[in-house]
Amino acid sequence: MKTLLAAIAAVALLAVAPFGLGGYETNVLMMVLFFVILAVGLDLVSGYCGQFSFATGAFYGVGAYTAAIMSRDLGTSIWLHLPAGAVVAGLFGLLLGIPALRLKGHFLAIVTIAFQTIVYLVISQWTSFTGGQVGLTMPNAGPVRIFGVTLFEFGSLRSYYWLTLAMTVICLIVAWRLIHSRLGREWVAIRDDETLAGAVGLDTTRGKLTAFVAYAALAGVAGVLTAHSLRGVTPDDFTIWISATVVAMMVVGGRGTFVGPIIGAAFLATLPEFLGKFAEYKMLIYGVLLVLAITLVPEGVVGRWRARTSR
Amino acid sequence: MTVPILEAKAITKRFGGVTAVNAASLTVGKGQIVGLIGPNGSGKSTMVNLVTGEMTPDEGQFLFNGHDITAQPSYRRARLGMARSFQLLRLFSSLSVEDNLVLANHMRMQSSLTASILDRAAAREEEAAARKRARELLAWFDLQEFASRPVTALSIGQQRMVELARGMMSEPTLFVLDEPAAGLSPPNVDRLIQLIRRMRDEFGMSILLVEHVMRVVRDLCDHVVVLDSGEKIAEGEPEAVVKDPVVVEAYIGTGWKRRAQG
Repeated sequence: MKTLLAAIAAVALLAVAPFGLGGYETNVLMMVLFFVILAVGLDLVSGYCGQFSFATGAFYGVGAYTAAIMSRDLGTSIWLHLPAGAVVAGLFGLLLGIPALRLKGHFLAIVTIAFQTIVYLVISQWTSFTGGQVGLTMPNAGPVRIFGVTLFEFGSLRSYYWLTLAMTVICLIVAWRLIHSRLGREWVAIRDDETLAGAVGLDTTRGKLTAFVAYAALAGVAGVLTAHSLRGVTPDDFTIWISATVVAMMVVGGRGTFVGPIIGAAFLATLPEFLGKFAEYKMLIYGVLLVLAITLVPEGVVGRWRARTSR
Repeated sequence: MTVPILEAKAITKRFGGVTAVNAASLTVGKGQIVGLIGPNGSGKSTMVNLVTGEMTPDEGQFLFNGHDITAQPSYRRARLGMARSFQLLRLFSSLSVEDNLVLANHMRMQSSLTASILDRAAAREEEAAARKRARELLAWFDLQEFASRPVTALSIGQQRMVELARGMMSEPTLFVLDEPAAGLSPPNVDRLIQLIRRMRDEFGMSILLVEHVMRVVRDLCDHVVVLDSGEKIAEGEPEAVVKDPVVVEAYIGTGWKRRAQG
């Protein structure tokens, strides 16, 4: 109950935040929300199910390019792009999940890096379909109409921010329910001991594939939101650096804790804003934080805090 | 001989050039406790992993209740009614004692995964029923007060009991026990013997028992199969098998004899 109230208060605060903030700060806050979705998604497959992935940027990109290409070729709206981005990214997640059925640890990590690289190469080189290095621009998401009455006009930064906030809340609720369902418990069982999971009758194939699909679909949603909010896509927004950043957010915050990746995303995504002229070294700082977290607090900040308080 | 529940027919398993199990056969009858013994490295553990589907044999066939299960993966065999314990204790280390048991009941749940994700009443009720059953089983093992503890907080002896409770949670018809007495103190071995007997008598389970502690084998088993270097060298009633010169020879020396008599 206390947690629920705290969550509602946090969302309410985030909802009114744009009134007290300038455009730049609102933009930063929106970026934080994209990363929250990505980090919580990665936590499902890595933190809960124990399957490492370095391909978050690829699924993020698949979602974004799904929206951009549908918008260009079909003229469809964001309301169709959101489910479409989730489904297309989810299918790619299924594709990456298949090698994960046979590979573990480092070998799986290498396959995910290869997958990330292939997706990046396709979106940056297939110029006729994806716009190549230049990327694609997108029109305004358009008005929200019910029975011909315009309720809401998309266009301002705030409108995209609020949409992103609403979608973030939905994604977090989905992730929360998954974790607290039978499926989430099976993911943890697979992470703890895959042989044993099979021996007690759990279908580990289904467990791993669903984790990959859920992870990829959430990243896809983040991609659609990003493409619309930034009014376009470029390949360099979906590189392995994004994947590495999201890994750092999850690990620093705390794997398999739900709240940890949210805090990790908020911390690491806003950190460059406080670094001033050192902001260009952010990847270096993320790297150092990742190494420090893994060696000193492998369970993450939230994981450590929970272990302290439960004792 | 009763109706067989498990039949292993001429099972062979090779690892590279090493033949771990060589054309070995064994049968477990319904309601029987069958012992599988042999010196270290004789292929017992490989045989257990073959029976439960962690490995697939190179040759031979497994029948479970008359159905060929040779190609079935471990989770399917579990769903058909097979449970196992592990020689080196295996539990889901980040979960509570109760959750470890509930996981073994997932495969029996009728409500859909979607119902569980959406927190529907059907899934909730089933979950509650599984938790109730888990607590009953824990009480049967005298572990009820540990239900919500992290499983790693328990002693090794208690964790072994949790493993047995987990196996029973899935209501198996065949329970494969891989050295359940390993690391137990003598009074706990006595308790284990009683518990295994009650599993058979009260729950009607058939049991395949791999064990080094001869007292357990002699007290419990209706029938014993002896493996040496992957081959079956003897089988029969425990008392007779233990005195079989071939078996004594396999274990090498008189230490075995002393242990057998002691």
